[in-house]
Amino acid sequence: MSDIERELEEELHRVLDPMSARPIPPRRSIQAHRTLKTLMGGAGAALTIKVLTGVAVAAAAATVAGVATTGSLNPAIWGQRVSQQVSSCQKTLAAGQHGIGDCVSDFSSQHGAAVASAARHQGNGNSNGSTKGNGISNGNGNPNGNGNSNGHSKDHLKVQATTPATLEPEASDPVAGHPPARITRGP
Amino acid sequence: MLEEEGSREKGVLPEPPVEPERYEPGSEPDFERLYRNTYRRILGTLIALVRDVPTAEDCAQETFERAYRNWSTWRPDAPVEAWLHRIAINVAISDRRHQRIRQAGEVIRRLGRPAPGPDPSLVAERSELFRAVSKLPTKQAAALVLRHYHGYTNREIAAALGVPEQTVASRLATARKHLQVVLGR
Repeated sequence: MSDIERELEEELHRVLDPMSARPIPPRRSIQAHRTLKTLMGGAGAALTIKVLTGVAVAAAAATVAGVATTGSLNPAIWGQRVSQQVSSCQKTLAAGQHGIGDCVSDFSSQHGAAVASAARHQGNGNSNGSTKGNGISNGNGNPNGNGNSNGHSKDHLKVQATTPATLEPEASDPVAGHPPARITRGP
Repeated sequence: MLEEEGSREKGVLPEPPVEPERYEPGSEPDFERLYRNTYRRILGTLIALVRDVPTAEDCAQETFERAYRNWSTWRPDAPVEAWLHRIAINVAISDRRHQRIRQAGEVIRRLGRPAPGPDPSLVAERSELFRAVSKLPTKQAAALVLRHYHGYTNREIAAALGVPEQTVASRLATARKHLQVVLGR
C-alpha cells in the first residue's frame, strides 16, 4: 500500500467516523415528501406553470372579449351606428330633397371628435382615421375605430370607449376666435 | 463478502455486522432493519461525496426513499449494501448537479457580493486531502471511499457501481494520481 493510500484511509476514518456516529434519525415519510416534490420541482413545477399560464390566458381572453363587445372601438358596432344614422337621415329628408351627405358627415365628425377626445386624454391615442393621434380631429367622418392605446391599459380604453358619441352638430368655429358675421343691408 | 477487509479495524465506526443480515424483499420490518443497520455507512459515503453534513443527511434520506420504492424488486442474491451504495452514489451525482445550478443562480443573484460560507459547525473538520477527495468527480470519489473507507475489493465496487472491474481500477488509479498532483506528492 502506497503512502497516499495509507494517508487516505486514515484521513477518511478520522473525518467520517465521528460524523457517522451521530444518532440515526427516523426514516423520512415518503408520501409527504413526494407530494411536495411534485408541486415544487421537476415535471410538477412545469405542470404547475402550465396550469397557471392557462388560467392567465383564459382571464385575458375574457377581458378582451368584454371590451370588444361593449366598447365602441369595435368596428362592427360603429358600422351599426352609421347604418342607423343613414336611415335616420333618409327619413328626415323633405319631399323632393336629395342627398344625405351633410347629415351623415356631421354624425361622422362627431364620432371623430369623440375618439380624438379619448386620444387627447391618453396623450398619444391614434384612431387610425382622419382623426389624428395628437388629438386633432379634422372631422371628415372616416374614423374606422381602430384605436391604438400604445401600451395603455384596456380598462382605460374601455371607460372612454363606452361614452356614447353625441349627435350634436359640432360648432363650425370650435375655437370661437372670430365674431359672428353680420350681414346688414347697405344704406 | 464486503466485510472481510482489514482496513476496517482502524475505524471505530461503522462496523459491519458479523454475519450478513438476511432481508426479505418488500418486507416493511426488514426494510426498517436495513435502514438501522446501514444508515451510518451510507451517510459516511455521502459525507465524502457532497459538500456538508446536512446535505449528506438529506441525500441519505433520499437514498432510502428510492430504495424503499424499489424494495420489492431487490433480489436477495445481490449484496443489499452494494445496491444501496449504488443508489446513494446516483443521489450524490444528482445533488452535485443541482448544486452547480443553484450556485450559478446565487452568483447571478448576488452580483459580486461574497458568498456566505456554510455553517462551520456543520462542516467536517477537513484536511487538504479530504477536500481534494470531495472535489474529485463523484464516481472517482465514490470508488476511493468504497475502497479505502469501507474496504470493498475492486470486484465488490464493480458490483456496487454496475461497471466492469477494470473501470473501477482505472477510476481508482486516476483518482490517486489526481490527488498526488493536487497535494504535490
